[in-house]
Amino acid sequence: MSDDRIAGALAIWHARNLRSAGDRAFLAYAVVMVLLVAVAPAGRLVWLAVTTPEAIAALTSPSAPEVTTVVVAALWAGALLWGRDRGPALLAPFPTYALGAGGSRRSRAFRGAVLRAGAVVTAGSVAGAGLIAGSLMSHGATGAVGVAVFATAGALVGIIASIAWLAGQALPRAAAPMALAVLVLGALSAAVPLLQPFTPWGWVAMAYPADPSHAGLALAAPLALTALAASAAALVALAPRLMARLALERLIEQAVRWESATNHATIMDFSAAVTAYRRVPHRGRRIRAITPVRLPLAFLIRDAIGAARTPGRLVGGVLAVAVAGVLITLAVAPDGTVPGWVVGAAAGVLLFGGLGPLTDGVRHAVSVASDLPLYGIADERLLALHVLFPLAASAVVLVAVVVACSIVAGAAAGPPALVALALGLLTSAVRVGAALKGGLPPALLAPIPTPMGDFGAAVRMVWAIDGVLLAALAGAGAALASASPVLLVAVAVVVVAVGIRRWRARA
Amino acid sequence: MIEVREIGVVVDDVILLAPISVSARRGEALIVRGRNGSGKSTLLRVLAGARKPSTGEARIAGASVLERDPRFRRRVAAMIGLPPLAADLTVVDHLMLVATTWADDRRAAATLAHVILDELGLTGLAERFPHELSSGQTQLLGLALVLARPFEVLILDEPEQRLDPEHLATVIRVLRARRDAGATLVVATHSAVLADELGDRTLHLGVAA
Repeated sequence: MSDDRIAGALAIWHARNLRSAGDRAFLAYAVVMVLLVAVAPAGRLVWLAVTTPEAIAALTSPSAPEVTTVVVAALWAGALLWGRDRGPALLAPFPTYALGAGGSRRSRAFRGAVLRAGAVVTAGSVAGAGLIAGSLMSHGATGAVGVAVFATAGALVGIIASIAWLAGQALPRAAAPMALAVLVLGALSAAVPLLQPFTPWGWVAMAYPADPSHAGLALAAPLALTALAASAAALVALAPRLMARLALERLIEQAVRWESATNHATIMDFSAAVTAYRRVPHRGRRIRAITPVRLPLAFLIRDAIGAARTPGRLVGGVLAVAVAGVLITLAVAPDGTVPGWVVGAAAGVLLFGGLGPLTDGVRHAVSVASDLPLYGIADERLLALHVLFPLAASAVVLVAVVVACSIVAGAAAGPPALVALALGLLTSAVRVGAALKGGLPPALLAPIPTPMGDFGAAVRMVWAIDGVLLAALAGAGAALASASPVLLVAVAVVVVAVGIRRWRARA
Repeated sequence: MIEVREIGVVVDDVILLAPISVSARRGEALIVRGRNGSGKSTLLRVLAGARKPSTGEARIAGASVLERDPRFRRRVAAMIGLPPLAADLTVVDHLMLVATTWADDRRAAATLAHVILDELGLTGLAERFPHELSSGQTQLLGLALVLARPFEVLILDEPEQRLDPEHLATVIRVLRARRDAGATLVVATHSAVLADELGDRTLHLGVAA
């Protein structure tokens, strides 16, 4: 298939919803307004944040180049992993099918998509590098040359990240080991500065504009940039071969999932959007999940084995719960640098995220309760049985981590363990409420006029992320519980009330 | 045209397709039959290059099955399940888009699209969107999409799904015409009518696992 045919096919695709001149003008107006009202203030906020004395102190610290090494390695590893689920060579499902099943080389059919995605990644990388270097220049820590060098390094990092992203899409099975290798080598390079001249992430660190010695920039940076540029060029040359390895079925699968996720995200159904990328089980099929024991234990085992059948998700969830436990310990006995309620809120959000992979059974119970009768037990009991696993798992992990942290810190384990148990219980209840949520209530679509504009969008956003907000409030309330339990009790009342209301309103 | 030698598919110790050997000549229609779970779709996916076999080898026109090779794609067309449809493209748009990816002449692509619509009795539905089609009409659109592209081998998984007897007869007539024009057909089906009226040979698969 020639480029002409690809262009012809895409022309048909793009012609399906041609915009009128009025529509185009309105779109341009909307883009300008979003830039002025949302993007510009957000950009200013970020600029102010990176130019505070604390931020400058962090950016000029001796460890900043090493941190850069790890960040770059993490970015490339993340790109490799993300490519497995959503690569850069992607169009809407139907043109993906039509062009992918067509007679052209995939390197031609998806060239435009890859270039566009790569341009976005590279622009983001340049912006990030420019922000850091600009911040340093604003405080005299570097000059215009330093900014130019680091921005160039940022561009090359973005190009390499784009190819890593494509590699993850083309070589999905190799992506995880490659990402792990990149991360390990990145951490190693950061720990052993002697390795920096021999690794791509080390070259980025060598181009860092606030080298405390200021001596290395003149000599090392050009060499580092040259080496980075050569690496990027070599990788770009590999792109057509990587694209030739793209499998049609996987491309269509990625396109369908991406479309589903973006459609749900557009209507603020973030839970359904995330579901599009939920791992499906492949392991442990020979382990019997259903055992002939009393129902509570049977459901506990069933949910535990069900979760273990997607081990990556389970490990990620348990790790998040464990880190939440560490944060709870810090929140109960803050060291004074960060207020305890802020750390507690972070613990609540992390716990909410970590409970996601542990509450598949809860979501199943809710879907069963919303459908024709299936089980021989009441819907309420079914839900209660499925709540046991997240409650038990989070309690065990949280208490174990909190006790361990308290012993290490030489502090009493009782108070943080109680706080952890309360937060685990409350966050599990928030998860139940999230499972019962359903679609956006039509009433929330009504505009709420205020002198500052329509407040309806903000209300819809709060509805969309209510679970995260309630978890954060619960975490903050738990951290403040010893001083005053009012917030914790108030959040508990809201969570229970919302849960009961949603249960009654279930389909 | 098609040579399959001892192809088997095993995933996590689960046998999806017990080892099987079969061949099909140019202009021959091979019907694949068997109970649910016998591996019909798996065999078709292997032949279409959508799945690698655990054992054995498949060759089409003397070459290995390699879906990523444009020459293979020009030779082999497959419908295994419905292709993803665009909610905002009409039926004829869908066909023209697929045909355009194969033809230098856009007008020829448009003509081909209309010819196929006519063949399958879909002309009256040309301007409909996918959500305005019945399940049977959607199935016919899926079939039309694979017919809108060139092929020497056509692989179809249960093309009779959701079709009434009249439309099934239409599909059989259209597929026969392709077979008589020299295409090799591999069709998995539960329809005795389709098997009897189209097939030159039948492969029966036992239950794999």
